[in-house]
Amino acid sequence: MSSIKEKFNQISPSEFFYRNRDLAGFSNPTRSLYTAVREFVENALDACDQKGILPDVHMSIKAVDLEKPDPKPYILTVKDNGPGIETKHVPLAFGTVLYGSKFGLKQARGMFGLGATMAILYGQITTNKPVLVKSSTDGKIQDEFELLLDIQKNKPVILKHTTKEVTKRGLSVSICLEGDYAKAGSKIKDYVYETSLITPYATITFDDPKGEKFHYSKIVNEMPPAPTIIKPHAHGIDVETIRRMMVESQFEIPNIDDAMVEKVRKDLGLAKNNLAFTGIMDKAKKRWKTLSRPVRIIISLMSFLKMDFDKLNKIRIDDIDVPNKKLYYWDFGDSKSKSVDMDPESPYYKQLTGTVQGETLTTFLTKGFQRIGPPTAVKFAEFAGFKPDKRMGTMTNEELVKLSDSLQKFEDFLSPDPSCLAPLGEEPLEKGMKKFFKPDFCAVIQRPASAYSGFPFIVEMGVAYGGEIRPGGPHVYRYANRIPLLYDEGSDVVLKVVNDTDWGRYKVKGEPPFVIVSHICSTRIPYKTVGKENVADRQEIERELRLGLQFLSRKLAAYMSKRGQADMAKKRANLYAKYLPLIAQFCTELAGKTKEPNYKKLLEEEIIVDDKQS
Amino acid sequence: MTTNKAKDRKQKVNEKQQNIIDALKDHGAKVYGDLNNGQFPKLSIPSRSVSNIVYDKKLRQYILGNSAALRSSRNSSQLRSFTQLMWLAFFANRLTQEKKSSTLRDVYYSSQAFEIEFEDQSESDNIIVDLEAVLSKPREDFHIFPEERSSIFGDLNIEYTIPGYEGKTMNLSNHPDGYAIGPSLTTAELLDTSAEIVIAIEKGGLFTRFVEEQVDKKFKSIIINTGGQAPRSTRTLLKRLHDEMGLPVIVLTDGDVYGEHIAMVIKSGSANAAHLRDLTVPDAKWVGVWATDIEKFKLPTIPMTESDIKRCHDLQSDPRYQEGIWKKELDVFLKIKRKAELEAFSKYGLTNITDKYLPQKLELAKSL
Repeated sequence: MSSIKEKFNQISPSEFFYRNRDLAGFSNPTRSLYTAVREFVENALDACDQKGILPDVHMSIKAVDLEKPDPKPYILTVKDNGPGIETKHVPLAFGTVLYGSKFGLKQARGMFGLGATMAILYGQITTNKPVLVKSSTDGKIQDEFELLLDIQKNKPVILKHTTKEVTKRGLSVSICLEGDYAKAGSKIKDYVYETSLITPYATITFDDPKGEKFHYSKIVNEMPPAPTIIKPHAHGIDVETIRRMMVESQFEIPNIDDAMVEKVRKDLGLAKNNLAFTGIMDKAKKRWKTLSRPVRIIISLMSFLKMDFDKLNKIRIDDIDVPNKKLYYWDFGDSKSKSVDMDPESPYYKQLTGTVQGETLTTFLTKGFQRIGPPTAVKFAEFAGFKPDKRMGTMTNEELVKLSDSLQKFEDFLSPDPSCLAPLGEEPLEKGMKKFFKPDFCAVIQRPASAYSGFPFIVEMGVAYGGEIRPGGPHVYRYANRIPLLYDEGSDVVLKVVNDTDWGRYKVKGEPPFVIVSHICSTRIPYKTVGKENVADRQEIERELRLGLQFLSRKLAAYMSKRGQADMAKKRANLYAKYLPLIAQFCTELAGKTKEPNYKKLLEEEIIVDDKQS
Repeated sequence: MTTNKAKDRKQKVNEKQQNIIDALKDHGAKVYGDLNNGQFPKLSIPSRSVSNIVYDKKLRQYILGNSAALRSSRNSSQLRSFTQLMWLAFFANRLTQEKKSSTLRDVYYSSQAFEIEFEDQSESDNIIVDLEAVLSKPREDFHIFPEERSSIFGDLNIEYTIPGYEGKTMNLSNHPDGYAIGPSLTTAELLDTSAEIVIAIEKGGLFTRFVEEQVDKKFKSIIINTGGQAPRSTRTLLKRLHDEMGLPVIVLTDGDVYGEHIAMVIKSGSANAAHLRDLTVPDAKWVGVWATDIEKFKLPTIPMTESDIKRCHDLQSDPRYQEGIWKKELDVFLKIKRKAELEAFSKYGLTNITDKYLPQKLELAKSL
């Protein structure tokens, strides 16, 4: 077992990704160019979002040799006005694959850095050109790096590093990579267009290889509130996560070194005078409440060892054997292992066992998870069949599995805290949709937060009808965590919900000029495939989508019937204008008159009546 | 004496025309007034729905009840048909004033000169029935005639009243194929006849046979071919022959449920024409072919179809079939479930029907 593990560790993360680049979306020149664009643009937007800066992102794709047929090398440059990256971090951030880069529970477009590094790696593989990074964190000095990636060692190779005076803060990354713009172009343009729709607070420009410029100015000047990092929810947990959380929460027996002893003496007010063992214990008892945990542990150890500070300096604690109630230590003076018995009746015994065995289950739950208070923790312990004060450190493997299962099954936990989510908000979404589609009718909704499997999510939706929208709808724009989803439309849950809707019921018929925008925000989007282009039909998400769409559809239907009424009034006016003169003509002859009756005021009156109705 | 009578009749005809014209003018003036006062004009049209058709025992025919539908020009779904109805009134007024006649199909095409579109002829036919209902007059009164033609033969002198033929007279036994019953004949003055009875017969073939066999002379009769279900103009003429000339009317049809009903319609009208009077001959008699005749005369038969049987059951619930030979024969038809045509008599020789059957029935008719 252990030898296989070692072998795994010997493959550098760079190498691993190099071998598996298909997984990250770098399977062919078309897809790779598109993926690289996405990774850099999303990094730029994320960086600005995190610092509350209104993003101004400029992207350009230039062919190295315009004449060559696709696929061919392109230079992709993405520049932002974000916080930049500190000089010392630049080589590591762009010259290594950040293996296991840790990520708190909050919504963001991507795992920071990973995809971008993949794009750099791909560029280097296909064109053997370095990545050019320009970064300024203060808006005065800009670092310029030329970097290559040492794939085997997962280390950056700095080819060139210069500095320069500038006037703007931000980061610019430029790579050379093999791509196929002829094929990827339309998707990239769609991506930029759709991204600017869901990011109405950002200015995005794109210069394409053919010299075309696409400019999307920001529509709103306020950013949606930033998400907060929060603890996990009990429903979204597995055994491995519990194990990791336990390691983090367990207390270690402090090292008894000079510094530690010094601290204990100081806390006991014994920095200068030396007391004997019993004196120390008396002093500790008096000051117990003010003492920190590590100090308490040292005092507890001393109580069983019956040693003063001088003697304590000459031993090392080896093990606290709770089942046998023995304390093992190494005596440097005698150069041998010794042990003392621990009296379980001693108040210090509990302090030690508590330290070794970790927190109680209830403490573990209330401290480690969101939205669990002590009463819920106790209730859960009963449900799971554990004592509430069961020490986490004493859990066997089987018990951990049981704990994990029970956490999933227990239904009385509050639903996940959505404060880690960053929906766009109804107002910016509506403004964006109105600006983009110039519709006759627009409505948006943000559903209340919900959760699936312990992961909170929020659904935002909007519908727009008429105006400058092209017919042939509904045109569906799908987003997840502010990323447009462009591929694999067919199997997506949003499409399923849209297609399940009987639009005739909402007076939407034929090939309507009709747009639907859906935005799913979650700490984890349940993508169907590794390509991350379609969302799986999780029942909870489908329900929220359905409710959101129903709400909007009803609004649309109300608008449509109003629109229908106006059409009808117009139609009626036309009918009157057509038939009343005929009736007048016929009845004039029938009645034996020569002059036609004055029916004109009837036409005018009728129109006024209809205006009042609508 | 004769001239006085003719004058009387002429006056009567003119009066009838004037009534129509006055009625049309009234409606026109009302609509004109509404428009002038800033009101949307509307017309009340007696409802012809099944629920509003009732049998009047006194009149011995179906009539319309009291419910009426309001057709308003304000309602955009009725505006079109309102205009169509107004146009038709306008058109009928011109026809009547100018003493011109028109067919149902003519009406359909004439509308197109006035930007009045009818989807098809059945739509324009419906509007014509609407106007009949509004005026309580058959369309023939306002000079619109059906295309169906039936014919008449016999010693009857008439005098035309239509423009161009006014004063001309004609004897209806001069042409052996018979005379088509159209607008000119329906509106003609009936001068005099030597006939003592009118025989209405369902089929053209038998009509020709009757003329050939000189039934008109042998039995002093006027022979009328109804051509199946008798058209309104024919029914009008039958009524006039009965009322004005004092002639009894007998009806001879195929021996089936449809034949029986042809006779019934001549006698008491149809539900379709419940909005009209003066189309019925309540004294008309159905003399055959009865269901009981099939057995009696040993006629070759064909089995009744399912729709024949269904029709029998339908008529059993009709109030007019609750008594007398109407009920009796209907029951027998249902019992034997077979039918016989008028031509069935040919089994016993082509003239068997005129030589044997008809005299018996004529004799019988006197006692009916």
